[in-house]
Amino acid sequence: MFKAVVEFFQSYNPMTLTILRDATIETLIMVGASTALASFAGLPVGILLATTSKDHILEQSFLNRILGGIVNLGRSIPFIILMVAIIPFTRKVAGTSIGTTAAIVPLTVAAVPFVARLVEGAFLEIDSGVIEAAESMGASPLQIIFKVMIPEALPALILAVTMTSVNLIGYSAMAGAIGGGGLGDLAIRYGYQRFRGDIMLQTVIILVVLVQGIQMLGDKIAQRLYHRK
Amino acid sequence: MIRLNNVVKTFPGKTAVHALQGIDLHIPAGQIFGIIGQSGAGKSTLVRCINMLERPDEGEVWVNGLLINNLGGRRLRDERKKIGMIFQHFNLLKSRTVYKNIAFPLELAGFPKGEIAARVKSLAELVGLEDRLDAYPSQLSGGQKQRVGIARALATEPDLLLCDEATSALDPETTKSVLQLLRRINSELGLTIVLITHEMAVIQEICDRVAVLEDGRVQEVGTVVDVFTRPRSTAAKRMLQGFLQPTVPDKLAEAGKKLLRLTFIDQKAHQPIMSRLVREHNVDVNILFGRIDQMKDTPFGVLMVEMDGDSEQIDTAVQFLQEQQVEVEVLG
Repeated sequence: MFKAVVEFFQSYNPMTLTILRDATIETLIMVGASTALASFAGLPVGILLATTSKDHILEQSFLNRILGGIVNLGRSIPFIILMVAIIPFTRKVAGTSIGTTAAIVPLTVAAVPFVARLVEGAFLEIDSGVIEAAESMGASPLQIIFKVMIPEALPALILAVTMTSVNLIGYSAMAGAIGGGGLGDLAIRYGYQRFRGDIMLQTVIILVVLVQGIQMLGDKIAQRLYHRK
Repeated sequence: MIRLNNVVKTFPGKTAVHALQGIDLHIPAGQIFGIIGQSGAGKSTLVRCINMLERPDEGEVWVNGLLINNLGGRRLRDERKKIGMIFQHFNLLKSRTVYKNIAFPLELAGFPKGEIAARVKSLAELVGLEDRLDAYPSQLSGGQKQRVGIARALATEPDLLLCDEATSALDPETTKSVLQLLRRINSELGLTIVLITHEMAVIQEICDRVAVLEDGRVQEVGTVVDVFTRPRSTAAKRMLQGFLQPTVPDKLAEAGKKLLRLTFIDQKAHQPIMSRLVREHNVDVNILFGRIDQMKDTPFGVLMVEMDGDSEQIDTAVQFLQEQQVEVEVLG
């Protein structure tokens, strides 16, 4: 076992390290940017989904059903198809349809409905009595959203963002199809197509570490914000 | 203070729930007014109609001379700031400390920071939580949580406090202390308090007047002393059964002797009426059950007695008791 490890490092090609490093950075850029953008765009959609639902502060069943339908539509399209289908849109936004930056566009578009549903769920988890109490104190709908719902749901929202970024790591592997690069792409091109099992293994290890790290960080932040013990 | 005229509320659905079926109620200022009813009687809906958390389908809700059920938007929110409310499950913000919870309504109303700090401090003292300001609700006991709820409800200096089963989730000991606090607030701040409950003991402890609610209708309204000692409606009688009114064991009822329930209210509870009864009227009295208690500030006693003697003597004895303003009820 020990001998195998030594041999592995002795025969290690420094070029591999560069490739792995670049791919990791690409993944982090794609996932980081699309998580941030999707959270930003998904939050208001989630707020609308929650607050327009039945018996909530801005009950609007028609709007709620339309919005819910759009979100479901977005979530039901397989990512690989969505990515290709919106290439014209990607080109308009990013100026190009290939590369890491371009991949951020479909990743974000795919994640927005996902975030919206998670955010909606987080908000509907809030005890309705707390919202009622705020109403009884004369809080406006905006005050209820910003001073009650968001702070009360913050731990759940953090976990939603964590879940989104972990999901996007998975999606980003497909971004290789439009030259997005990243670890997933590396695993397919080197590990699978060129039969480099060692590189495949290393990318998988990095991915596992990434996912574990993000999840642990998210759990830790959520735990800190959670005063319900 | 509050006047409800023919308030109707129905919750539609497969089997529509007629929560309120024409409520007429007047709640005078400065009092502690209790609304009692079994679960499903409509009392939660009723109290929510006072601050428009539920909008009545019909009828008028007047608060402080203002027809509140025509208001919406900002006007309604401004009125709500003058009405405090506390809840069965406290409904505190879990993400905020005690300090921040009490400050919450003041933040909503746009008070400056300095003013908020001063008010929170004096409110925390009022409810006895000045040393728990940095705690989160999860670190508090039920009674402490309700005290935060009360402080929060009083923050904007309302002249009306609505209590929705405020002590139902608390143990008897804590219930007592929370009720004492409400009573103190009522007398010190002159605040009108409307409380709904299913517990007779709560009404007995602090209320001046009580309304008995059943099937979405007010069955009876009056002072607590009147309703508790001379209930007229079947709803009130049923609810009082076993509370102040001891039930008659079947065996005794069968025995054929005169069975009476005597209620002594206020000053009568201090006087030696029974010994005069025996001395002056030549009847034998056997006491089966006795209890002396207090309704808010009014002492009262209940005695269940068996009276022996010839029927004429018993009749004059009963007459004597009635002359002494003792409530007499013949049970058998």
